[in-house]
Amino acid sequence: MERVGLFQKFHNMCCTIGEALVFFGEVLTSIVQGKIRWNEVRKQVYEQGAQTIIIVVLTSLAAGAVLAMQGYVSMSRFGAKEFVSHLVALSLVRELGPVFTALIFSGKAGAKIAAELGTMNVNEQITATRAMGVDPMEFFVVPRMLASFMVLPLLAVIFELVGMFGGYIVGIFQAHLPGSFYLSQTIRAIEFVDFFSGFIKVFFFAVIISWICCYEGFKTRGGSLGVGQHTTNAVAYSYILVIISNTFLTKFILTVWG
Amino acid sequence: MIEIKALTKSFNGQKVLDGVDLTIAKGEILVVLGQSGTGKSVLLKHIIGLLKPDSGSVKLNGTDISQLTERELLAVRKKVGFLFQDGALYDFMTVFENVAFPLVEHTKLSVQQVTEKVIATLESLDLHEVGNKLPSELSGGMRKRVALARAIILDTDILLCDEPTSGLDPLRSRDISDVIYKISRKLGCSTVIASHDITNSFRIGDRLALLNDGKVAAMGSAEQFRKSEDHFVKEFMLR
Repeated sequence: MERVGLFQKFHNMCCTIGEALVFFGEVLTSIVQGKIRWNEVRKQVYEQGAQTIIIVVLTSLAAGAVLAMQGYVSMSRFGAKEFVSHLVALSLVRELGPVFTALIFSGKAGAKIAAELGTMNVNEQITATRAMGVDPMEFFVVPRMLASFMVLPLLAVIFELVGMFGGYIVGIFQAHLPGSFYLSQTIRAIEFVDFFSGFIKVFFFAVIISWICCYEGFKTRGGSLGVGQHTTNAVAYSYILVIISNTFLTKFILTVWG
Repeated sequence: MIEIKALTKSFNGQKVLDGVDLTIAKGEILVVLGQSGTGKSVLLKHIIGLLKPDSGSVKLNGTDISQLTERELLAVRKKVGFLFQDGALYDFMTVFENVAFPLVEHTKLSVQQVTEKVIATLESLDLHEVGNKLPSELSGGMRKRVALARAIILDTDILLCDEPTSGLDPLRSRDISDVIYKISRKLGCSTVIASHDITNSFRIGDRLALLNDGKVAAMGSAEQFRKSEDHFVKEFMLR
C-alpha cells in the first residue's frame, strides 16, 4: 500500500512539473510572438516595485551596516580594517543583494501575484476572460512575469547601493575610515564580473519566482482555503528554489568567471 | 443555432453528461432545468468550449467547436455572451471598465463610441450612475445586471446564463429573468439558461429541458411540463 502511495505521489509530482513546464512554455511563446500588453506591464511594474521597495531599502541598509560592523571586528584582528569596504561591496553585489532581494520579492510581490491570480481563479474571473475570447495567459500572466523580470534586477541594484551606504556609515563612524577612501575602495573592489554574476543570479531568480507564483495562482482551486494554500506554496517553493539554485549558480559562476 | 449531439462528459470516472442531444434555434430561449450537480453548468461550458467533451459534438452555427483549438475558440467566443453564476466581474475594474472590456478587446471603436455604447447598455438594464463603482460596492442583483451588460455588449448571437436567479430574492429573480427575456428578444439571439428556478423558467422559456442522470429526461414547453404525467417531471416540479 505504501509503495502505491509513494508511486502515486511521485507520479503527481512529475505531472505537476510537466504542467508547470508547459505553462512556462506558453508564457514564453506569448512573449516571443509579441503578445505583450505594455499597459498592463507598466501597471505591474509599478505595483510590484512600489510595494517592495521600502522593505528592500530598510533591509539593505541594515544588512550593509551589520556586514560592515562584523567585517570591522573580524578584519581589525588581522589589522586589515581598510578592507571592510571590499567585504561589504563584494558580499552585497555577488551574494546578499541578489538573494535577499529575491527572498523579499517573493514574500511580498510573489505572494501578491499568487493570491491575486488564485482569487480570480476561484471567482471564475479567469474562466470569464476565456469566455470573452481573451487569452488569460496574455492578459494576466505575461504582464506579471515580464514586470518581475524588470523589477527584481532593479530592486537588487537598489539593495546593493543602499547596503553599501549602510556599510559606509559604519565605516566612517565606527571604523573611522575617511569617507573618500571608503568610497574609492568600494569602487575599486567591484569589477564588471562581480556585477555581472550578481545580475545573472537575480534574473534567474526573477524567472523562478514569477513562474512559480503565477503557476500556483493559475492552478488554484477550492475557494479561500485553496487561495491560502497555493499562496503559501508559491512563497515556500520560491524560497527553497532561490536558496538551492543560488548554490549551484555560485559554483557555476565561480568555475566559469572566478 | 446550437446543435448538441450525443454529448458525454465524465469527471474522475463519474459521468456528468451521458449522451445529451439538444438543438436550440436562433432567437429561441431554452431553459435547462435540473437538480444541483446534474451537469447544467457543465453543459453551458461545453457550448462555449470551456470544456472539451469526452465524446459527441457541439455545433455553433454549423461549426463543431469541440474540434477547435483554444486559439480558434477565442475567436468563436466573441459572439457568445456568458453570464456566470456569481457574475465573475473583474474586482479590480470599475463597472464601466468591466462592461467596456469586450468592446476594447474586440472592436476598434473610439473612446467616445465605447463610452456611448456602455452607457446605453447600462441604461437599458436600469443601471444608472454606477459606472464608477467597483463590483464589490453593488448588490447581488446589480452585479448580475452588470455581468449581463458585459455579456451582451458585443450584440451576441448566443447568450448563456448560468443560474441567473440564484442568491436573489423573488422580486429580483423576476426582474433579472424579465431582463434576460427582453434582451434575448431584442437581440434575437439563441439563449440557454441553466436554472432550478421553476417559476421564472416557465415564464420566460420557449422550451424547457429537464436533466437527470446526465440525460435529457424531459423536453417541451411550459404547458407541456405542467400537463406531463411523467413521474420525475411531476416530482421535480413539486420541489
